Amino acid sequence: MRLATFLGRRDRARKPVAVAPDHVPRAVLARYAAGAPGFGTDALWTVEAHLESCPSCRGVLAEALERYSPETASLLNLVGSRLATELPRTARMPARRRRRVARWAPPGLWAWLVMALAVVGAALGLDVAGSSRVLPSLVLLVAPVAPLIGVASLWSTGLDPAHELVVASPRAGLYMVLRRTLAVLIVVVPALTVAGLAVGASPARWLLPCLAFTAGALVLGELIGLGWAAFSLGLAWTAGVIAPSLLAARTPLLLEPASLPYWSGFTVLIGLALLLRRDAYTGLRSAPWFVR
Amino acid sequence: MDEEQLVRRVARGDRDAFDELYRRTSPWLAVRLRRRCADDDVVADVMQETYLAVWRAAAAFAGAGVGGSAVGWLWTIAARRLVDALRRRSRDARAPHAALPMPPAPPAEDEVLGTVLGDEIGAALNRLAPELRQVLQAMVLDGLTVRETAVLLGVPEGTVKTRARRARIALREALS
Repeated sequence: MRLATFLGRRDRARKPVAVAPDHVPRAVLARYAAGAPGFGTDALWTVEAHLESCPSCRGVLAEALERYSPETASLLNLVGSRLATELPRTARMPARRRRRVARWAPPGLWAWLVMALAVVGAALGLDVAGSSRVLPSLVLLVAPVAPLIGVASLWSTGLDPAHELVVASPRAGLYMVLRRTLAVLIVVVPALTVAGLAVGASPARWLLPCLAFTAGALVLGELIGLGWAAFSLGLAWTAGVIAPSLLAARTPLLLEPASLPYWSGFTVLIGLALLLRRDAYTGLRSAPWFVR
Repeated sequence: MDEEQLVRRVARGDRDAFDELYRRTSPWLAVRLRRRCADDDVVADVMQETYLAVWRAAAAFAGAGVGGSAVGWLWTIAARRLVDALRRRSRDARAPHAALPMPPAPPAEDEVLGTVLGDEIGAALNRLAPELRQVLQAMVLDGLTVRETAVLLGVPEGTVKTRARRARIALREALS
């Protein structure tokens, strides 16, 4: 609080502004350092206000300590040695950038995202290696379920040690699940696009199924838990589509351009279901996916 | 390199910057704290807690409340920690507070005066009763709230408010 504020004065122009052009004399600093009594209040205020803004006077004060106040100097050594032992044990606040990222992703997401990217990369590698044989593109086959690997880890007790706090926070619920899903898609979809373009599977063929599966996992997750929902959908797709089309060596009908209208209608329906049941994501009791 | 840059480097985990910051600011902080608390153990604890807080939360330093000054930020932390320590101690022991060393004395340092406060206000301050000056110092110079001032001086909040009001009236009269 400034003195003028304290006094409620408006005519500040009368008072000289608190700027000290000169430095505090050494003798005064020495007496201040020694804790000598007999300082007038005005002098004390002047010295302390000046010291707060003047590095060189603080330096002079530090030099004066050794001579005029050995107790203070030994106190500083004591605190310094205590700090040296305490600092390595002290947890630090994360930098702003890491805090911002943490708002979008649960702590365990990284490993799952890396795995999703590895699956896409492996599919791409197999496609490139076996390009002479007439097989449907593996990238195309994997694309609809690739984000599910990340989605499975978004909302689970085992992967987020702070899950009880998270679920009790005001932003918990469908909003937070959608935000984290978006974080997964932002990583996985570009990787799929690059891999798909490399082997001639354009996003137009797999993007809608991809979104439908992701939203479907969220809807199913309300009933049986997000992890189980992602796992069962992925398993169903693998057993029902990927395996048969690999055996038959042809692109499944579901991923032909002709089936896109059905996919879009399906996605809209799932989105509506998600909206209708959005309240199921708030509150612990109606959130079975949070049970391990 | 000034203190603000040092704090920003501490925020990135630079241990050398922290040591440099400690070397530069700790003498000033220790002297200022010792002028407010006679117990050296408490001062040592407050210093330790203050610098640990700096190490822990340097990333949060924005300097908004103290005009961008890292030293002012440091003092804000230290003053709050001192009040906390005194509050803890008074709860534990119900011991009387060490009186602040502030006997009324003639202004011997006329040469530094006038540069900051101005003669009229300096003289008015010196004429104030000691208990009013203590309140004024805690609230204006150290930037504490009424409640914190009450803990620091060991008097009830109502007394602090009354003394602040009396100090305000006395200073206004002296300046008008």
